[in-house]
Amino acid sequence: MKKRLLALIVTATLAASSLIGCGATETQGDTAQVTTSDGTMNAADGSGQALKLSVTTGDGSTTDDKIPTPWYNRIMATNLMFRALFLADSSLTNPQPDLAQSCEISEDSLVYTITMKDGLKWSDGEALTAEDVKWSIETALQAATCNSIYTSAFKNISEITVEGNSITLTLETPYASMMDVLAQFAILPKHCLENADPLKLEADAFWQNPVTSGMYVLDELNVGNYFTLKINENYEGTAPKIKSVICYFVQDYITAAQAGQADYVFGNAADLVEAIGGMANYTTHEVDVLFYKYFLFNMKGVDGNENEAMQNVEVRKALIEAIDRATLATLYPTAAVLNSGVPNSHEAYNGFEYTFDAEKAKADLQASGYDMNRTLRICYYNNDQTSIDLIQTVVHYLEQTGLKVEATLSNDGTTDLFTTRNYDIGFKGKSAFSIDEWYTEYMSSDALFANVFGGTTEFDELVSELFKSTDQAGRNEILKKLQEKEQEAAYKVPVFTVNTYVFTSDKVVLPAGVEFCNPLYMCDLDFANWEIAQ
Amino acid sequence: MLKFIIKKLLMMLPMLLIISFIVFFGLQMTGVDPINFMVSPEMLSANKENVDALRESLGLNDPLIVQYFRWVGNCLRGNLGYSFDGSSISSVIAVRLPYTFELAGYSLLFSSIIGIGIGIVSAVRQNGIIDYTGRVLAVLGQAVPQFLVGIVLIQIFSIKLGWFPASNRVSPDAKNALADAFLHLFLPVLTLTIGMVAVLMRYARNTMLDVLNSDYIKTARSKGIPEWKVYLKHGFRNAMKPVLVILVFRIPMLVGGSVVIESVFSYPGIGLTMTNAIVSGDYPMVLVTTLIIAAAMLICSFMVDILNALLDPRVRLGE
Repeated sequence: MKKRLLALIVTATLAASSLIGCGATETQGDTAQVTTSDGTMNAADGSGQALKLSVTTGDGSTTDDKIPTPWYNRIMATNLMFRALFLADSSLTNPQPDLAQSCEISEDSLVYTITMKDGLKWSDGEALTAEDVKWSIETALQAATCNSIYTSAFKNISEITVEGNSITLTLETPYASMMDVLAQFAILPKHCLENADPLKLEADAFWQNPVTSGMYVLDELNVGNYFTLKINENYEGTAPKIKSVICYFVQDYITAAQAGQADYVFGNAADLVEAIGGMANYTTHEVDVLFYKYFLFNMKGVDGNENEAMQNVEVRKALIEAIDRATLATLYPTAAVLNSGVPNSHEAYNGFEYTFDAEKAKADLQASGYDMNRTLRICYYNNDQTSIDLIQTVVHYLEQTGLKVEATLSNDGTTDLFTTRNYDIGFKGKSAFSIDEWYTEYMSSDALFANVFGGTTEFDELVSELFKSTDQAGRNEILKKLQEKEQEAAYKVPVFTVNTYVFTSDKVVLPAGVEFCNPLYMCDLDFANWEIAQ
Repeated sequence: MLKFIIKKLLMMLPMLLIISFIVFFGLQMTGVDPINFMVSPEMLSANKENVDALRESLGLNDPLIVQYFRWVGNCLRGNLGYSFDGSSISSVIAVRLPYTFELAGYSLLFSSIIGIGIGIVSAVRQNGIIDYTGRVLAVLGQAVPQFLVGIVLIQIFSIKLGWFPASNRVSPDAKNALADAFLHLFLPVLTLTIGMVAVLMRYARNTMLDVLNSDYIKTARSKGIPEWKVYLKHGFRNAMKPVLVILVFRIPMLVGGSVVIESVFSYPGIGLTMTNAIVSGDYPMVLVTTLIIAAAMLICSFMVDILNALLDPRVRLGE
């Protein structure tokens, strides 16, 4: 009897768990579909006609219980839902009006008067106005989890005034990239988010059923599995030919691509480029981006913590001389060796080159009085195999010079590079929006780098001038001066920039002339004319 | 018996508290700052004030012991708190746990049927083809890591053959919920089942062999009872008692094992949630998911004690 009872309990438990599993409900609020995971679905006209995207949660940057927010990275899924005042081209410059009708900039570049298009609406039917723009800019300044390009630009704004359909931004000092930044900045609906805590904006329930301004609006969010987008009926522009989009939450892009869950994928990791680039049903698009890989020297922190061994500039230069950066670059599919923050192909590049000479490096180290018996410590945090191989190669080069070297893979690069600082050479990556971002790190006001560069003010004036300079010739002059200064100081030394790759499946028919941009930002991809092959 | 059950239940509470204490301080000792997973280094550089305000609002500036007891206090009041990405942990668990139960439940069911079935046949037909094949497969099943089995199955059945989806639990274009569930569950359930079948098969075989060699089986045979009746009524029944104990003890291992399998299959259960939380330093979420797995282990241990007490009265007398 007891055994029968036990069997009954076990059977009932299994049946119940199965039923619960099949019936997990996701409530989507007012407009999006309320679904169960029983497969109810109307996302695609038969999903064959839907564009399939993948959103990875494996790197911890995105969660699978809400829509990725557009104020951190502008990935394809959010670009389809949220618009900015302007739309940039593939170089992320030359912005053209999008939500804005027009923009007038005063001669001194201090006043931007932006007129919004008439009749703009959010996906819920509410009017999209200049008040939304004002609220969005002001809120971004109070947010913690948004892209720093916005706060860096907007903190120069001293006043925002709204008059009817126009918004006027008054700046304290000119900011050269303001228009380019505005072309990335997604305007969010004030009427939905004005009561949210700006510090935790990305945690608001809004992101489970967002009101959008772009071509698409959320159709269904199935937590942990996918979200689907449908046409936004209130979008005033040309309706896209693709009627629905499915975004799968996945752990890695390679498996998603192999399993047919991604018609559009991007990345620069060697394994991903090799795997997806080698698939016959994908087209590879190489994109020039400013993804810096660089060494930084731990010298002196504003907290008083000093590392005397790296304070000698001759030591720093000799260490770089000991490393063959051109060979390191071959570890990546497409990497361009750098000698400053300005790419060698840029018109402002000053022509200086770091040379590789192991013998000279050894002699220079000895001449500088460096203790060759001391263990040189390298700290890095990227745990992909290519980065590990790169660091092992660096260790090999330095050991050839007679140094004792120890490399440590950090679990938390930001803490170890800028707070704990138990290292001599750090290896870091930086995906920059513009060259200006590279030079921002030299500013004494930079809260992180002041802790390794000692808070020196020697770059401040030039970097500030760079931010202000709107004239290209003038910018080039400043960039040349900055290069000389950084090459002389060698606080951080770039190794190379790594290009990124966008892969589109053969199910996607792209309109002629589409040029992809850095996939973490937004540009004009003529998406309305993308089609899914029949 | 009631006293025995209450005593066992009460012992679970301090154990869970100790586990939570170890996990909490263990996570702190890794030196990982969760803020660095929420905010980019560039943002830390450019707008430290906002980041400091976020740190304060999350209570990360409080002493560790304060943070720990605040978390325990909230849990005791039924509030599991919020993950660092702002999600209510109770809501996350409510959605994810059924998925994990579903995965573990089916694996348990199928591995029990297959493992015990092959084990019994192997014992009855000792040194036969089924026995040899079963023993080889059992060794393989135990020797090959589950994540590797999962990856191989994905490569063959999802990518090469396209028979099953490679990830997730629900398809947006599903026409039939049951068929969709079958397709999504097949590979992860198979992966977990393979590992568990191996253990159960070996155990069931050995136990059955012991039973079949015992005196009362010989007595039954000498009485002229049909062979099938000897196996089923006298052999199988008695052999199943210790197998049942092993079976119950495998449940938490299934839940724990799903941590790896859910990551391989992007299956949105507790295991994947835990993996993602560890990657992003989200320790409120790590704490709760770890405790769920620990609680599953303790509950199963408790069930084994109860089973033992039911099957063998000397257990509770000894207590």
